[in-house]
Amino acid sequence: MADKPTLAFFSLACCEGCQLQVLAANEKLLPILERADIVRFREASDGDADHYNVTFLEGSIVTEHDIERAKAIRAKTDVLVALGACATIGGVNVIKNFQESDDVAEYVYGDKKDWFPHIPTRPLKAEVQVDVEIHGCPINTCEFLEVAKCLLMGKPYRQPNYPVCVPCKLAGNVCLWHKGVPCLGVVTRAGCEPFLCPSAGHKCIGCRGLVDNPNTEAAADVMAEFGLTVEEVFREFSLFQGIYDDVAKMK
Amino acid sequence: MLPQVLKRNDLAAWVEALMADRTVAGPVLKETNVSDPSDEKFEWTVLEDAGDLRLDYNLTVLGPKSFLWPPRQQLVAYRLDDGPDPQPLIEHEPTVLLGVHPCDATAIATLDTAFGKDIPDPHYLARRADTAIVGLDCAAPCHESSFCLDMGSLYPDSGFDVMLTPMGEVIFVEAATDLGRALVKSAAVRPATKDDMEARQKFAEEKRSNFHYKLPYELKYLPEVLEQSYDSLVWEAIARRCFSCGSCNTTCPTCYCWDVTDDIADDLSGGVRTRRYDSCQLDTFAEVAGGENFREERSSRLRHRMFRKGKYILEQTGRVGCVGCGRCERACVAKISIKDTYVQIAGTR
Repeated sequence: MADKPTLAFFSLACCEGCQLQVLAANEKLLPILERADIVRFREASDGDADHYNVTFLEGSIVTEHDIERAKAIRAKTDVLVALGACATIGGVNVIKNFQESDDVAEYVYGDKKDWFPHIPTRPLKAEVQVDVEIHGCPINTCEFLEVAKCLLMGKPYRQPNYPVCVPCKLAGNVCLWHKGVPCLGVVTRAGCEPFLCPSAGHKCIGCRGLVDNPNTEAAADVMAEFGLTVEEVFREFSLFQGIYDDVAKMK
Repeated sequence: MLPQVLKRNDLAAWVEALMADRTVAGPVLKETNVSDPSDEKFEWTVLEDAGDLRLDYNLTVLGPKSFLWPPRQQLVAYRLDDGPDPQPLIEHEPTVLLGVHPCDATAIATLDTAFGKDIPDPHYLARRADTAIVGLDCAAPCHESSFCLDMGSLYPDSGFDVMLTPMGEVIFVEAATDLGRALVKSAAVRPATKDDMEARQKFAEEKRSNFHYKLPYELKYLPEVLEQSYDSLVWEAIARRCFSCGSCNTTCPTCYCWDVTDDIADDLSGGVRTRRYDSCQLDTFAEVAGGENFREERSSRLRHRMFRKGKYILEQTGRVGCVGCGRCERACVAKISIKDTYVQIAGTR
Protein backbone atom coordinates (compact mmCIF):
# COMPACT_ATOMS: atom_id res chain seq x y z
CA MET A 1 0.00 0.00 0.00
CA ALA A 2 1.26 3.40 -0.91
CA ASP A 3 2.35 5.81 1.78
CA LYS A 4 -0.34 7.97 3.30
CA PRO A 5 -0.71 11.43 1.77
CA THR A 6 1.05 14.16 3.73
CA LEU A 7 -0.63 17.29 5.03
CA ALA A 8 0.98 20.53 6.14
CA PHE A 9 -0.32 23.71 7.78
CA PHE A 10 1.36 27.12 7.49
CA SER A 11 0.50 30.66 8.50
CA LEU A 12 1.17 34.04 6.95
CA ALA A 13 -0.27 37.29 8.36
CA CYS A 14 -3.21 36.26 10.52
CA CYS A 15 -4.32 35.34 14.03
CA GLU A 16 -3.96 31.58 13.41
CA GLY A 17 -7.56 31.16 14.53
CA CYS A 18 -8.34 29.06 11.46
CA GLN A 19 -5.80 26.46 12.58
CA LEU A 20 -7.57 26.39 15.93
CA GLN A 21 -10.83 25.73 14.09
CA VAL A 22 -9.14 22.68 12.53
CA LEU A 23 -8.09 21.44 15.97
CA ALA A 24 -11.62 22.14 17.21
CA ALA A 25 -12.76 19.21 15.06
CA ASN A 26 -11.37 17.04 17.89
CA GLU A 27 -12.23 13.37 17.39
CA LYS A 28 -13.61 14.09 13.93
CA LEU A 29 -9.98 14.52 12.84
CA LEU A 30 -9.23 10.90 13.68
CA PRO A 31 -10.63 9.35 10.47
CA ILE A 32 -8.52 11.84 8.51
CA LEU A 33 -5.41 11.02 10.53
CA GLU A 34 -5.95 7.34 9.79
CA ARG A 35 -5.70 8.13 6.10
CA ALA A 36 -3.14 10.96 6.05
CA ASP A 37 -0.07 12.11 7.96
CA ILE A 38 0.24 15.65 9.22
CA VAL A 39 3.92 16.46 8.74
CA ARG A 40 3.85 20.15 9.61
CA PHE A 41 1.44 21.88 11.97
CA ARG A 42 2.96 24.46 14.27
CA GLU A 43 -0.16 24.83 16.42
CA ALA A 44 -0.15 21.11 17.21
CA SER A 45 3.30 19.57 16.71
CA ASP A 46 6.87 20.12 15.48
CA GLY A 47 8.52 18.42 12.50
CA ASP A 48 8.57 19.07 8.76
CA ALA A 49 9.00 17.33 5.37
CA ASP A 50 10.42 18.11 1.92
CA HIS A 51 7.15 17.67 0.10
CA TYR A 52 3.47 18.05 0.96
CA ASN A 53 0.58 16.44 -0.88
CA VAL A 54 -1.83 18.97 0.59
CA THR A 55 -0.94 22.26 2.25
CA PHE A 56 -3.42 24.35 4.18
CA LEU A 57 -2.08 27.89 4.12
CA GLU A 58 -3.75 30.55 6.23
CA GLY A 59 -3.03 34.26 6.43
CA SER A 60 -2.63 37.01 3.89
CA ILE A 61 0.41 38.40 2.13
CA VAL A 62 1.54 41.70 3.64
CA THR A 63 5.34 41.70 3.02
CA GLU A 64 7.74 40.77 0.23
CA HIS A 65 8.94 38.00 2.53
CA ASP A 66 5.41 36.57 2.60
CA ILE A 67 5.50 36.32 -1.19
CA GLU A 68 8.76 34.36 -1.04
CA ARG A 69 7.37 32.04 1.65
CA ALA A 70 4.13 31.45 -0.25
CA LYS A 71 6.07 30.62 -3.41
CA ALA A 72 8.44 28.31 -1.55
CA ILE A 73 5.51 26.47 0.07
CA ARG A 74 3.71 26.29 -3.28
CA ALA A 75 6.80 24.73 -4.86
CA LYS A 76 6.76 21.89 -2.30
CA THR A 77 2.98 21.34 -2.52
CA ASP A 78 0.70 19.32 -4.80
CA VAL A 79 -2.65 20.80 -3.71
CA LEU A 80 -2.68 24.22 -2.07
CA VAL A 81 -5.70 25.07 0.07
CA ALA A 82 -6.21 28.71 1.08
CA LEU A 83 -7.47 28.50 4.64
CA GLY A 84 -9.69 31.29 5.89
CA ALA A 85 -10.60 34.85 4.92
CA CYS A 86 -7.05 36.23 5.22
CA ALA A 87 -5.82 33.67 2.70
CA THR A 88 -8.81 33.75 0.34
CA ILE A 89 -9.73 37.47 0.26
CA GLY A 90 -7.06 39.19 2.35
CA GLY A 91 -9.36 39.33 5.36
CA VAL A 92 -9.51 42.31 7.69
CA ASN A 93 -5.87 42.99 6.81
CA VAL A 94 -7.10 44.67 3.62
CA ILE A 95 -8.37 47.60 5.70
CA LYS A 96 -4.83 48.99 5.70
CA ASN A 97 -4.92 49.26 1.90
CA PHE A 98 -7.33 52.14 2.27
CA GLN A 99 -5.03 54.08 4.59
CA GLU A 100 -1.67 55.79 4.07
CA SER A 101 1.01 53.10 4.06
CA ASP A 102 3.35 55.13 6.28
CA ASP A 103 0.65 55.99 8.81
CA VAL A 104 -0.22 52.32 9.18
CA ALA A 105 3.40 51.30 9.77
CA GLU A 106 3.91 54.10 12.27
CA TYR A 107 0.72 53.19 14.13
CA VAL A 108 1.95 49.63 14.62
CA TYR A 109 5.73 49.94 14.85
CA GLY A 110 6.28 53.57 15.89
CA ASP A 111 9.85 54.78 15.28
CA LYS A 112 10.92 51.22 14.29
CA LYS A 113 8.65 51.28 11.28
CA ASP A 114 11.55 51.13 8.84
CA TRP A 115 12.57 47.77 10.23
CA PHE A 116 9.33 46.25 8.95
CA PRO A 117 8.85 47.03 5.26
CA HIS A 118 5.35 46.08 4.11
CA ILE A 119 3.27 46.00 0.96
CA PRO A 120 -0.50 46.31 0.38
CA THR A 121 -2.41 43.26 1.65
CA ARG A 122 -3.30 40.64 -0.93
CA PRO A 123 -4.80 37.16 -0.84
CA LEU A 124 -2.72 34.09 -1.71
CA LYS A 125 -4.13 33.75 -5.20
CA ALA A 126 -2.62 37.12 -6.11
CA GLU A 127 0.82 35.51 -5.94
CA VAL A 128 0.50 31.73 -6.21
CA GLN A 129 -1.89 29.20 -7.69
CA VAL A 130 -4.58 28.25 -5.18
CA ASP A 131 -6.42 24.97 -5.80
CA VAL A 132 -9.14 25.07 -3.12
CA GLU A 133 -10.55 27.92 -1.04
CA ILE A 134 -12.05 27.60 2.43
CA HIS A 135 -13.61 30.96 3.25
CA GLY A 136 -14.63 32.50 6.55
CA CYS A 137 -13.30 34.34 9.56
CA PRO A 138 -12.64 31.97 11.07
CA ILE A 139 -13.24 28.99 8.81
CA ASN A 140 -15.90 26.63 10.05
CA THR A 141 -14.85 23.18 11.11
CA CYS A 142 -17.60 21.47 9.10
CA GLU A 143 -16.35 22.94 5.85
CA PHE A 144 -12.74 21.98 6.65
CA LEU A 145 -13.86 18.38 7.19
CA GLU A 146 -15.89 18.50 3.98
CA VAL A 147 -12.86 19.67 1.99
CA ALA A 148 -10.63 17.06 3.68
CA LYS A 149 -13.12 14.32 2.77
CA CYS A 150 -13.28 15.50 -0.85
CA LEU A 151 -9.47 15.51 -1.09
CA LEU A 152 -9.23 12.03 0.40
CA MET A 153 -11.88 10.77 -2.02
CA GLY A 154 -10.27 12.54 -4.96
CA LYS A 155 -13.35 14.54 -5.86
CA PRO A 156 -13.59 18.30 -6.35
CA TYR A 157 -14.95 20.43 -3.54
CA ARG A 158 -17.90 22.45 -4.77
CA GLN A 159 -17.94 25.63 -2.72
CA PRO A 160 -21.31 27.35 -2.37
CA ASN A 161 -21.85 30.09 -4.93
CA TYR A 162 -25.05 31.60 -3.62
CA PRO A 163 -25.70 34.28 -1.02
CA VAL A 164 -26.20 33.85 2.71
CA CYS A 165 -29.93 34.62 2.15
CA VAL A 166 -30.46 31.02 0.99
CA PRO A 167 -29.54 29.23 4.27
CA CYS A 168 -30.99 32.16 6.22
CA LYS A 169 -34.43 31.72 4.66
CA LEU A 170 -34.19 27.95 4.97
CA ALA A 171 -33.62 28.53 8.70
CA GLY A 172 -36.93 30.45 8.73
CA ASN A 173 -35.27 33.65 9.96
CA VAL A 174 -37.09 36.97 9.78
CA CYS A 175 -34.93 39.14 7.51
CA LEU A 176 -32.67 41.47 9.51
CA TRP A 177 -33.27 44.23 6.95
CA HIS A 178 -36.91 44.14 8.04
CA LYS A 179 -35.73 44.72 11.60
CA GLY A 180 -33.78 47.80 10.55
CA VAL A 181 -30.40 46.08 10.28
CA PRO A 182 -28.59 46.24 6.92
CA CYS A 183 -27.03 42.82 6.45
CA LEU A 184 -24.40 41.87 3.85
CA GLY A 185 -25.92 38.41 3.45
CA VAL A 186 -27.50 39.49 0.16
CA VAL A 187 -24.14 39.49 -1.64
CA THR A 188 -21.97 37.34 0.64
CA ARG A 189 -21.05 33.77 -0.25
CA ALA A 190 -22.93 31.22 1.85
CA GLY A 191 -21.38 28.15 3.42
CA CYS A 192 -21.44 29.05 7.10
CA GLU A 193 -22.29 25.80 8.86
CA PRO A 194 -23.78 25.71 11.41
CA PHE A 195 -25.61 28.82 10.32
CA LEU A 196 -24.91 31.20 13.17
CA CYS A 197 -24.84 34.98 12.73
CA PRO A 198 -28.26 36.01 11.37
CA SER A 199 -29.96 33.19 13.29
CA ALA A 200 -28.57 34.80 16.44
CA GLY A 201 -29.73 38.25 15.32
CA HIS A 202 -26.29 39.40 14.18
CA LYS A 203 -25.95 40.88 10.70
CA CYS A 204 -23.74 39.16 8.16
CA ILE A 205 -20.49 41.12 7.96
CA GLY A 206 -19.34 39.39 4.81
CA CYS A 207 -16.43 37.30 6.12
CA ARG A 208 -16.79 34.70 3.37
CA GLY A 209 -16.37 37.27 0.62
CA LEU A 210 -18.67 38.06 -2.28
CA VAL A 211 -20.50 35.50 -4.40
CA ASP A 212 -19.05 35.17 -7.88
CA ASN A 213 -21.46 37.54 -9.56
CA PRO A 214 -22.71 39.92 -6.85
CA ASN A 215 -25.00 42.85 -7.50
CA THR A 216 -23.00 45.20 -5.29
CA GLU A 217 -24.47 48.23 -7.05
CA ALA A 218 -27.97 47.18 -6.07
CA ALA A 219 -26.74 46.48 -2.54
CA ALA A 220 -25.22 49.96 -2.29
CA ASP A 221 -28.42 51.52 -3.72
CA VAL A 222 -30.68 49.61 -1.35
CA MET A 223 -28.46 50.51 1.60
CA ALA A 224 -28.58 54.17 0.55
CA GLU A 225 -32.40 54.01 0.34
CA PHE A 226 -32.23 52.48 3.77
CA GLY A 227 -30.58 55.67 5.00
CA LEU A 228 -26.89 54.80 5.00
CA THR A 229 -24.38 57.34 3.69
CA VAL A 230 -21.92 56.35 0.97
CA GLU A 231 -19.19 56.28 3.61
CA GLU A 232 -21.22 53.97 5.84
CA VAL A 233 -21.96 51.64 2.94
CA PHE A 234 -18.25 51.45 2.14
CA ARG A 235 -17.44 50.79 5.79
CA GLU A 236 -19.90 47.88 5.92
CA PHE A 237 -18.35 46.29 2.84
CA SER A 238 -14.68 47.06 3.49
CA LEU A 239 -14.39 45.22 6.80
CA PHE A 240 -13.88 42.00 4.85
CA GLN A 241 -14.52 42.68 1.18
CA GLY A 242 -12.19 45.58 0.36
CA ILE A 243 -10.11 43.41 -1.96
CA TYR A 244 -12.88 43.31 -4.58
CA ASP A 245 -12.84 46.02 -7.25
CA ASP A 246 -16.62 46.38 -6.86
CA VAL A 247 -16.08 47.42 -3.24
CA ALA A 248 -12.85 49.39 -3.65
CA LYS A 249 -14.52 51.67 -6.18
CA MET A 250 -17.23 52.63 -3.68
CA LYS A 251 -14.61 54.64 -1.75
CA MET B 1 -71.31 15.91 6.84
CA LEU B 2 -73.39 18.99 7.65
CA PRO B 3 -71.54 22.10 8.85
CA GLN B 4 -70.74 22.22 12.54
CA VAL B 5 -69.46 24.76 15.00
CA LEU B 6 -66.82 24.56 17.70
CA LYS B 7 -66.69 26.97 20.61
CA ARG B 8 -63.41 28.85 20.61
CA ASN B 9 -62.91 27.76 24.23
CA ASP B 10 -63.09 24.12 23.10
CA LEU B 11 -60.42 24.55 20.43
CA ALA B 12 -57.45 23.78 22.71
CA ALA B 13 -59.06 20.51 23.86
CA TRP B 14 -59.51 19.45 20.22
CA VAL B 15 -55.88 20.33 19.42
CA GLU B 16 -54.75 18.32 22.45
CA ALA B 17 -56.84 15.37 21.32
CA LEU B 18 -55.20 15.56 17.89
CA MET B 19 -51.75 15.85 19.48
CA ALA B 20 -52.33 12.64 21.43
CA ASP B 21 -51.80 10.41 18.43
CA ARG B 22 -50.14 12.54 15.75
CA THR B 23 -47.73 15.37 15.16
CA VAL B 24 -49.64 18.64 15.00
CA ALA B 25 -47.98 21.65 13.39
CA GLY B 26 -49.40 25.13 13.34
CA PRO B 27 -48.58 28.82 13.48
CA VAL B 28 -47.03 30.14 16.70
CA LEU B 29 -45.45 33.41 17.78
CA LYS B 30 -41.80 33.49 16.68
CA GLU B 31 -40.67 36.90 17.88
CA THR B 32 -41.90 40.36 18.75
CA ASN B 33 -40.42 43.62 17.59
CA VAL B 34 -38.59 45.13 20.58
CA SER B 35 -39.62 48.69 19.74
CA ASP B 36 -43.17 47.80 18.65
CA PRO B 37 -44.75 44.96 20.65
CA SER B 38 -47.75 44.89 18.31
CA ASP B 39 -45.42 43.84 15.47
CA GLU B 40 -45.46 40.08 15.91
CA LYS B 41 -43.75 37.55 13.63
CA PHE B 42 -45.07 34.02 13.37
CA GLU B 43 -43.68 30.71 12.22
CA TRP B 44 -44.97 27.24 11.40
CA THR B 45 -43.70 24.73 13.91
CA VAL B 46 -44.61 21.45 15.60
CA LEU B 47 -46.89 22.31 18.52
CA GLU B 48 -45.64 21.36 21.95
CA ASP B 49 -48.49 23.07 23.77
CA ALA B 50 -51.96 23.44 22.27
CA GLY B 51 -52.12 26.91 23.81
CA ASP B 52 -49.25 28.11 21.59
CA LEU B 53 -51.42 27.91 18.48
CA ARG B 54 -52.12 31.40 17.12
CA LEU B 55 -55.02 31.38 14.70
CA ASP B 56 -54.71 35.18 14.44
CA TYR B 57 -51.34 34.78 12.72
CA ASN B 58 -50.30 36.50 9.56
CA LEU B 59 -47.94 35.34 6.86
CA THR B 60 -44.86 33.37 7.94
CA VAL B 61 -41.42 33.38 6.26
CA LEU B 62 -41.74 29.70 5.36
CA GLY B 63 -45.16 28.18 5.04
CA PRO B 64 -46.68 24.83 5.98
CA LYS B 65 -45.00 23.54 2.81
CA SER B 66 -41.89 22.82 4.85
CA PHE B 67 -43.67 19.93 6.61
CA LEU B 68 -44.47 18.23 3.32
CA TRP B 69 -41.32 19.26 1.50
CA PRO B 70 -38.65 20.19 4.04
CA PRO B 71 -35.94 22.75 3.19
CA ARG B 72 -33.41 19.92 3.61
CA GLN B 73 -34.39 16.32 3.08
CA GLN B 74 -32.41 13.10 3.08
CA LEU B 75 -33.24 10.93 0.07
CA VAL B 76 -31.10 7.81 0.14
CA ALA B 77 -28.35 6.37 2.33
CA TYR B 78 -25.55 4.29 0.83
CA ARG B 79 -22.29 2.64 1.82
CA LEU B 80 -18.85 3.41 0.43
CA ASP B 81 -16.79 0.78 2.23
CA ASP B 82 -18.78 -2.20 1.00
CA GLY B 83 -21.39 -2.55 -1.76
CA PRO B 84 -23.44 0.62 -2.15
CA ASP B 85 -26.55 -1.01 -0.62
CA PRO B 86 -28.74 2.03 -1.23
CA GLN B 87 -31.53 2.51 1.29
CA PRO B 88 -34.30 4.94 0.40
CA LEU B 89 -35.07 7.31 3.25
CA ILE B 90 -38.78 7.92 3.06
CA GLU B 91 -39.84 9.32 6.37
CA HIS B 92 -43.36 10.20 7.34
CA GLU B 93 -45.57 10.19 10.40
CA PRO B 94 -49.22 11.03 10.94
CA THR B 95 -49.31 14.81 10.88
CA VAL B 96 -51.93 17.53 11.01
CA LEU B 97 -51.20 20.97 9.61
CA LEU B 98 -53.55 23.16 11.57
CA GLY B 99 -54.46 26.66 10.43
CA VAL B 100 -53.46 26.57 6.77
CA HIS B 101 -54.61 29.75 5.05
CA PRO B 102 -56.42 29.46 1.70
CA CYS B 103 -53.33 30.62 -0.24
CA ASP B 104 -51.18 27.88 1.28
CA ALA B 105 -53.89 25.25 0.80
CA THR B 106 -54.02 26.24 -2.87
CA ALA B 107 -50.23 26.02 -3.03
CA ILE B 108 -50.32 22.52 -1.55
CA ALA B 109 -52.77 21.51 -4.28
CA THR B 110 -50.23 22.76 -6.85
CA LEU B 111 -47.42 20.83 -5.15
CA ASP B 112 -49.59 17.70 -5.07
CA THR B 113 -49.94 17.89 -8.84
CA ALA B 114 -46.32 18.84 -9.51
CA PHE B 115 -44.82 16.10 -7.32
CA GLY B 116 -47.34 13.54 -8.54
CA LYS B 117 -46.89 13.93 -12.29
CA ASP B 118 -44.28 12.36 -14.60
CA ILE B 119 -42.01 10.54 -12.13
CA PRO B 120 -43.94 10.71 -8.84
CA ASP B 121 -41.81 11.90 -5.92
CA PRO B 122 -42.05 9.22 -3.21
CA HIS B 123 -40.57 11.45 -0.50
CA TYR B 124 -43.22 14.14 -0.94
CA LEU B 125 -46.11 11.79 -1.64
CA ALA B 126 -45.45 9.60 1.44
CA ARG B 127 -45.55 12.62 3.72
CA ARG B 128 -48.52 14.06 1.91
CA ALA B 129 -50.51 10.84 2.26
CA ASP B 130 -49.87 10.89 6.00
CA THR B 131 -50.79 14.55 6.45
CA ALA B 132 -54.18 16.06 7.14
CA ILE B 133 -54.72 19.71 6.39
CA VAL B 134 -56.99 21.87 8.50
CA GLY B 135 -57.57 25.14 6.69
CA LEU B 136 -58.30 28.49 8.26
CA ASP B 137 -60.29 31.01 6.28
CA CYS B 138 -59.16 34.65 6.04
CA ALA B 139 -61.47 37.55 6.81
CA ALA B 140 -59.14 40.21 5.45
CA PRO B 141 -55.86 40.50 3.52
CA CYS B 142 -52.83 39.89 5.71
CA HIS B 143 -50.61 42.38 3.91
CA GLU B 144 -50.63 44.88 1.06
CA SER B 145 -48.32 42.57 -0.94
CA SER B 146 -50.93 39.83 -1.15
CA PHE B 147 -53.15 39.43 -4.19
CA CYS B 148 -54.73 36.08 -3.49
CA LEU B 149 -58.12 37.20 -4.84
CA ASP B 150 -56.54 37.84 -8.26
CA MET B 151 -54.69 34.54 -8.27
CA GLY B 152 -57.79 32.51 -7.46
CA SER B 153 -56.42 31.18 -4.19
CA LEU B 154 -58.77 32.93 -1.81
CA TYR B 155 -61.47 30.30 -2.37
CA PRO B 156 -59.59 26.99 -2.67
CA ASP B 157 -61.43 23.93 -3.95
CA SER B 158 -58.82 21.46 -2.70
CA GLY B 159 -55.67 21.19 -0.61
CA PHE B 160 -57.51 20.82 2.72
CA ASP B 161 -59.48 18.23 4.70
CA VAL B 162 -61.26 20.58 7.07
CA MET B 163 -61.89 24.30 6.74
CA LEU B 164 -62.26 26.45 9.83
CA THR B 165 -63.95 29.82 9.71
CA PRO B 166 -63.38 31.91 12.82
CA MET B 167 -66.54 33.83 13.70
CA GLY B 168 -66.14 35.55 17.06
CA GLU B 169 -66.77 33.10 19.90
CA VAL B 170 -67.35 30.14 17.62
CA ILE B 171 -65.47 28.51 14.78
CA PHE B 172 -67.39 27.20 11.82
CA VAL B 173 -66.13 23.70 10.95
CA GLU B 174 -66.58 22.15 7.51
CA ALA B 175 -65.06 18.75 6.76
CA ALA B 176 -64.20 18.29 3.09
CA THR B 177 -62.83 14.73 3.06
CA ASP B 178 -63.19 11.43 4.93
CA LEU B 179 -59.93 12.18 6.70
CA GLY B 180 -61.34 15.55 7.73
CA ARG B 181 -64.53 13.94 9.03
CA ALA B 182 -62.43 11.57 11.13
CA LEU B 183 -60.46 14.45 12.61
CA VAL B 184 -63.54 16.42 13.56
CA LYS B 185 -64.86 13.45 15.58
CA SER B 186 -62.55 14.35 18.46
CA ALA B 187 -63.79 17.94 18.57
CA ALA B 188 -66.63 19.09 20.81
CA VAL B 189 -68.64 20.32 17.84
CA ARG B 190 -72.35 20.80 17.57
CA PRO B 191 -74.45 21.06 14.40
CA ALA B 192 -74.60 24.56 12.98
CA THR B 193 -77.83 26.44 13.70
CA LYS B 194 -79.63 28.94 11.52
CA ASP B 195 -77.88 31.72 13.47
CA ASP B 196 -74.52 30.10 12.80
CA MET B 197 -75.32 29.90 9.11
CA GLU B 198 -76.22 33.57 9.09
CA ALA B 199 -72.96 34.42 10.84
CA ARG B 200 -71.14 32.30 8.26
CA GLN B 201 -72.90 34.20 5.49
CA LYS B 202 -71.97 37.51 7.10
CA PHE B 203 -68.33 36.40 7.30
CA ALA B 204 -68.38 35.52 3.60
CA GLU B 205 -69.83 38.90 2.67
CA GLU B 206 -67.32 40.79 4.80
CA LYS B 207 -64.50 38.69 3.43
CA ARG B 208 -65.54 39.48 -0.12
CA SER B 209 -65.72 43.21 0.58
CA ASN B 210 -62.33 43.26 2.36
CA PHE B 211 -60.39 41.84 -0.59
CA HIS B 212 -59.88 43.85 -3.76
CA TYR B 213 -58.59 42.96 -7.19
CA LYS B 214 -55.15 44.41 -7.82
CA LEU B 215 -54.36 43.27 -11.35
CA PRO B 216 -55.94 45.10 -14.30
CA TYR B 217 -56.91 41.78 -15.91
CA GLU B 218 -58.29 38.38 -14.95
CA LEU B 219 -56.02 35.44 -14.09
CA LYS B 220 -56.92 33.61 -17.29
CA TYR B 221 -55.18 36.36 -19.30
CA LEU B 222 -51.93 36.23 -17.31
CA PRO B 223 -50.16 33.66 -19.53
CA GLU B 224 -50.98 35.78 -22.58
CA VAL B 225 -49.87 39.01 -20.90
CA LEU B 226 -46.59 37.34 -19.97
CA GLU B 227 -46.05 35.92 -23.42
CA GLN B 228 -46.41 39.33 -25.00
CA SER B 229 -43.93 40.82 -22.54
CA TYR B 230 -41.12 38.35 -23.26
CA ASP B 231 -38.92 40.86 -25.05
CA SER B 232 -39.93 43.82 -22.89
CA LEU B 233 -37.25 46.05 -21.40
CA VAL B 234 -39.05 45.72 -18.10
CA TRP B 235 -37.08 42.60 -17.12
CA GLU B 236 -33.73 44.31 -17.33
CA ALA B 237 -35.04 47.34 -15.50
CA ILE B 238 -36.34 45.29 -12.57
CA ALA B 239 -33.28 43.00 -12.53
CA ARG B 240 -31.02 45.97 -11.94
CA ARG B 241 -32.16 45.84 -8.32
CA CYS B 242 -32.16 42.07 -8.02
CA PHE B 243 -29.47 40.43 -5.86
CA SER B 244 -30.24 36.97 -7.23
CA CYS B 245 -30.37 35.91 -3.58
CA GLY B 246 -33.18 33.43 -4.18
CA SER B 247 -35.32 34.56 -1.24
CA CYS B 248 -38.34 34.83 -3.55
CA ASN B 249 -38.00 31.12 -4.32
CA THR B 250 -36.96 29.81 -0.92
CA THR B 251 -40.03 31.40 0.69
CA CYS B 252 -42.46 30.56 -2.16
CA PRO B 253 -45.17 28.06 -1.22
CA THR B 254 -45.25 26.52 -4.71
CA CYS B 255 -41.56 26.39 -5.64
CA TYR B 256 -40.41 22.79 -5.94
CA CYS B 257 -36.92 22.88 -7.46
CA TRP B 258 -34.11 21.36 -5.46
CA ASP B 259 -30.38 20.81 -5.55
CA VAL B 260 -28.82 17.50 -4.55
CA THR B 261 -25.59 16.99 -2.62
CA ASP B 262 -23.81 14.00 -1.13
CA ASP B 263 -23.16 14.23 2.60
CA ILE B 264 -20.31 11.82 3.31
CA ALA B 265 -19.80 10.40 6.81
CA ASP B 266 -16.67 11.64 8.57
CA ASP B 267 -15.17 8.15 8.51
CA LEU B 268 -15.94 7.85 4.78
CA SER B 269 -17.90 4.64 5.43
CA GLY B 270 -20.98 5.86 3.61
CA GLY B 271 -23.09 8.83 2.76
CA VAL B 272 -26.52 10.31 2.42
CA ARG B 273 -27.81 11.94 -0.72
CA THR B 274 -29.63 15.07 0.40
CA ARG B 275 -31.70 17.70 -1.35
CA ARG B 276 -32.39 21.29 -0.38
CA TYR B 277 -34.51 24.05 -1.86
CA ASP B 278 -32.88 25.48 -4.95
CA SER B 279 -33.68 28.77 -6.64
CA CYS B 280 -33.86 29.65 -10.32
CA GLN B 281 -32.56 33.10 -9.38
CA LEU B 282 -29.17 31.80 -8.29
CA ASP B 283 -26.26 32.35 -10.64
CA THR B 284 -25.52 28.66 -11.11
CA PHE B 285 -29.09 27.31 -11.34
CA ALA B 286 -29.00 26.76 -15.11
CA GLU B 287 -25.31 25.91 -15.28
CA VAL B 288 -24.59 22.51 -16.81
CA ALA B 289 -21.56 20.28 -17.25
CA GLY B 290 -18.92 22.06 -19.27
CA GLY B 291 -19.75 25.39 -17.67
CA GLU B 292 -22.46 26.53 -20.08
CA ASN B 293 -25.13 28.60 -18.32
CA PHE B 294 -28.49 28.89 -20.03
CA ARG B 295 -29.64 31.83 -17.94
CA GLU B 296 -26.47 33.74 -17.24
CA GLU B 297 -28.16 37.14 -17.17
CA ARG B 298 -29.88 38.25 -13.99
CA SER B 299 -32.77 39.62 -16.07
CA SER B 300 -33.37 36.32 -17.86
CA ARG B 301 -33.51 34.53 -14.51
CA LEU B 302 -35.93 37.08 -13.10
CA ARG B 303 -38.14 36.82 -16.18
CA HIS B 304 -38.02 33.05 -15.92
CA ARG B 305 -39.41 33.14 -12.37
CA MET B 306 -42.23 35.48 -13.37
CA PHE B 307 -43.05 33.15 -16.27
CA ARG B 308 -42.86 30.03 -14.09
CA LYS B 309 -45.25 31.54 -11.58
CA GLY B 310 -47.72 33.00 -14.06
CA LYS B 311 -47.56 30.68 -17.05
CA TYR B 312 -45.36 27.57 -17.09
CA ILE B 313 -46.57 25.88 -13.88
CA LEU B 314 -50.17 26.66 -14.80
CA GLU B 315 -49.64 25.06 -18.21
CA GLN B 316 -47.82 22.04 -16.79
CA THR B 317 -50.03 21.25 -13.80
CA GLY B 318 -53.30 23.03 -14.50
CA ARG B 319 -52.77 24.70 -11.13
CA VAL B 320 -51.64 28.26 -10.38
CA GLY B 321 -47.90 28.69 -9.91
CA CYS B 322 -48.39 31.85 -7.88
CA VAL B 323 -51.03 31.94 -5.16
CA GLY B 324 -50.59 35.66 -4.51
CA CYS B 325 -49.51 35.25 -0.89
CA GLY B 326 -46.91 38.01 -1.18
CA ARG B 327 -44.13 36.11 0.61
CA CYS B 328 -41.62 36.79 -2.17
CA GLU B 329 -42.24 40.53 -2.14
CA ARG B 330 -41.88 40.67 1.62
CA ALA B 331 -38.72 38.55 1.55
CA CYS B 332 -37.15 40.81 -1.09
CA VAL B 333 -34.73 43.33 0.36
CA ALA B 334 -34.87 45.22 -2.96
CA LYS B 335 -38.72 45.24 -2.76
CA ILE B 336 -39.22 43.54 -6.12
CA SER B 337 -42.92 42.71 -6.33
CA ILE B 338 -44.42 39.95 -8.47
CA LYS B 339 -47.80 41.69 -8.17
CA ASP B 340 -46.45 45.05 -9.36
CA THR B 341 -44.56 43.27 -12.14
CA TYR B 342 -47.74 41.60 -13.37
CA VAL B 343 -49.41 45.03 -13.33
CA GLN B 344 -46.46 46.67 -15.06
CA ILE B 345 -46.20 44.22 -17.96
CA ALA B 346 -49.86 44.76 -18.79
CA GLY B 347 -48.96 48.34 -19.64
CA THR B 348 -45.81 47.62 -21.63
CA ARG B 349 -47.08 45.20 -24.24
